[in-house]
Amino acid sequence: MSPATNTERSHKAQKVLERFDKKLSRQVVSSLVSCVHCGMCTDSCHYVLANPDDPSYAPAYKADRIRRIFKRHFDWTGRVAPWWVHARSVYTDDDLEELKDIVFGKCTNCRRCTINCPMGVDFATFNRMARGLLVSVGVMPEGVSVVSKDQWEIGNQMGVLKEDYIETLEWMAEELQMELNDPEATIPIDVPDCDIVYSINPREIKYDPRTIADAAKIFYAAGEHWTMPSEGWDMTNFGLFSGDDDLGGAVARRLYEKVSDLRGKTLVISECGHGYRSTRCEGPNWAKQDINDFAMESSVSTMLRYIRDGRITVDKTRNTTPVTFHDSCNNARSCGFFEEPRELLNLVCSDFREMYPNRAENYCCTGGGGAMSMSEYTPRRLKSAKIKAEQLKATGAKIVVTSCHNCVDGLSDLIRHYNLDMKVTQLVNLVADALVIEPKAEAPEAAVPVATADGELAGYTILVADDEPDLVTFVSTLLEDHGATVIGASNGEEALSLARAHKPDLITLDITMPGMSGDEVFVALRKDPDLRGIKACIITGRPELRRLIYERPVTPPEGYIDKPVDEESILTNVKKILEVHHES
Amino acid sequence: MNETIRIGDTTVRLIKGDITDQEIEAFVYYARHNLALGSGFGTAITVRGGPDIQKELDTLGPIETTEVVVSNAGELKADKIIHAVGPRFQEVDLPAKLATTIRNCLSAAREHDISSLAFPPMGVGFYGVPLDLCARIMLATFQEVLRQSPGMREIVICANDSREYEPFRQLLQNFSTTKEYVQ
Ligand code: SF4
Ligand code: SF4
Repeated sequence: MSPATNTERSHKAQKVLERFDKKLSRQVVSSLVSCVHCGMCTDSCHYVLANPDDPSYAPAYKADRIRRIFKRHFDWTGRVAPWWVHARSVYTDDDLEELKDIVFGKCTNCRRCTINCPMGVDFATFNRMARGLLVSVGVMPEGVSVVSKDQWEIGNQMGVLKEDYIETLEWMAEELQMELNDPEATIPIDVPDCDIVYSINPREIKYDPRTIADAAKIFYAAGEHWTMPSEGWDMTNFGLFSGDDDLGGAVARRLYEKVSDLRGKTLVISECGHGYRSTRCEGPNWAKQDINDFAMESSVSTMLRYIRDGRITVDKTRNTTPVTFHDSCNNARSCGFFEEPRELLNLVCSDFREMYPNRAENYCCTGGGGAMSMSEYTPRRLKSAKIKAEQLKATGAKIVVTSCHNCVDGLSDLIRHYNLDMKVTQLVNLVADALVIEPKAEAPEAAVPVATADGELAGYTILVADDEPDLVTFVSTLLEDHGATVIGASNGEEALSLARAHKPDLITLDITMPGMSGDEVFVALRKDPDLRGIKACIITGRPELRRLIYERPVTPPEGYIDKPVDEESILTNVKKILEVHHES
Repeated sequence: MNETIRIGDTTVRLIKGDITDQEIEAFVYYARHNLALGSGFGTAITVRGGPDIQKELDTLGPIETTEVVVSNAGELKADKIIHAVGPRFQEVDLPAKLATTIRNCLSAAREHDISSLAFPPMGVGFYGVPLDLCARIMLATFQEVLRQSPGMREIVICANDSREYEPFRQLLQNFSTTKEYVQ
């Protein structure tokens, strides 16, 4: 089959058609030909529920935008009677832009419509294919291009450099040693012949290092022989979202090769839905590689095994706040992984409440399919999150637990947007909180790193900018108690002029301030040759911040703290950014 | 296995590593038209090299496909960076444009007395240039340019991972100075 040529067609449109043919697997063709337009999938889509009067959100409508190209060029019905089957080609770059808006902006590839289709049409599969075709000619949201390029070239989705990764692991190891009062509590790096090689999501390094420390604590308590790799550590795979199978293969291969080099027995994937699906299920196909020399499992299974085998002891009365569980689409719908997290939750929490619908029927967090990286669609995404907000609220829980970093971000955004009184956490945090660790009998005190809590920020000047006076006071007092010189600013203009006058080492910046917003202050700082070296930590409850992270109009902030803030997250982030280490 | 060959006076060496972190006189960065460093290796250049690099680039762009500019490398281990806007995303005449971009990198190196230069596999990965095509064009262009105008001491091909390394290794292994590497 070859596409009809058309001299009027743009170069990019022609290239899309040429590649379309190569992507037509049996599974894709079967989904493309079998829709009978019964409409049973319509109400399964969160976009439809939020936009009941707009037919362009219906799964079958969206699917038909891709299907009609297939019909026009690769299916006999469209070649014989194109008008009859609504066959239509793509001709111009504008046609491709229009397709981009649908395949990236109106679907999170959550596959909820798939399980509600009696004909077995898997729209998400060919939606992903269409994304890949557009990416191959450079048509994609800016955020998708930024993240893809980071993962291709730096080796992880967030552009974390090797030295920052290692430094964060060392930092978390120090924190752990302090907490456990045991210098042997470490985060081993590149140790060969371990039982477990632990891979993570770069978000953990950049914005949530506590999940790494918590996992390390659990491995410590279990007496595990484990390691983290110095390279090939990112188990996420943006190829799943961008539709780029080459990226999918390259990323998976780096991870597999590193585990093989280290002769690890099991690759443990930290809690991440798309990471789990990509690494365990899709990766071997993309990488064209059979994985026989090591096993792969989710860290949820690892933690559950530790409890079942008596390797760790947990006390569920330490987690008494009511919790509910959000199933990540990739874990639940695509991998059938939904009972293990529930079993684990019931072991470490005393008040677990189910959310309805759940498991494979659960609604998407609405941040899936790479949606968190595409800020141009943020209003659309948050509108479509209405059903998820209602689901969360109905549980009456105060904490929503999810085994997916992407869902943590998606849920956090919608919780703020819909003003829900909830916070998001992961199983690793709850298991670590419930851990019962016997204190070490004779800790060799002298060998333990000593925290010089009182003065560890001495010599640093920190500018705290926030329009909430209480927050300025809270953060300033905390930092001053640890030795820092602190200057307060209550709006953007003041922050910028104080930055010019004092050249602080660090600015903590609220995004939502009257007048010049924190976002604008941050970009102004980065663009000013004299100020761009000042480190910045964004403190926010606003999802639009993602533009700074994913689209990179300027070098991203060094740190990022979600509101509401607490002492631990402020101190951990500030010390990490300023590279303040405990004295040993 | 031969991962180092000679073309005339020049050593061509294949390594695996992070191109922005090499002890080398200069390296090539596959740039955007507006010379914004952006993400990927651009992040590494900004973070490790400091803000002055982008500041200098702001005075040098924008440039067209196949054109190159040379900047200082700030606090990076290299002295200079050659920012080359190669072809991308299946664009028209990609092989010819890629060869021209590589030629322009080598002449910029000569003009700036750079005798040791690292190239990434040009345009592979994010920009979608097929690896095999890239490897053949790079070696063919090196051969063509270095024969006509010797003087370069060393060219390093810096692959990011084994997927990128392998096709270059195979080509270098079968390398013969009498054989032309056609595009
Ligand atoms: S349920 Fe299936 S057959 Fe019916 S409209 Fe949706 S995709 Fe088509
Ligand atoms: S995959 Fe999910 S987001 Fe996409 S159309 Fe189906 S239900 Fe809607």
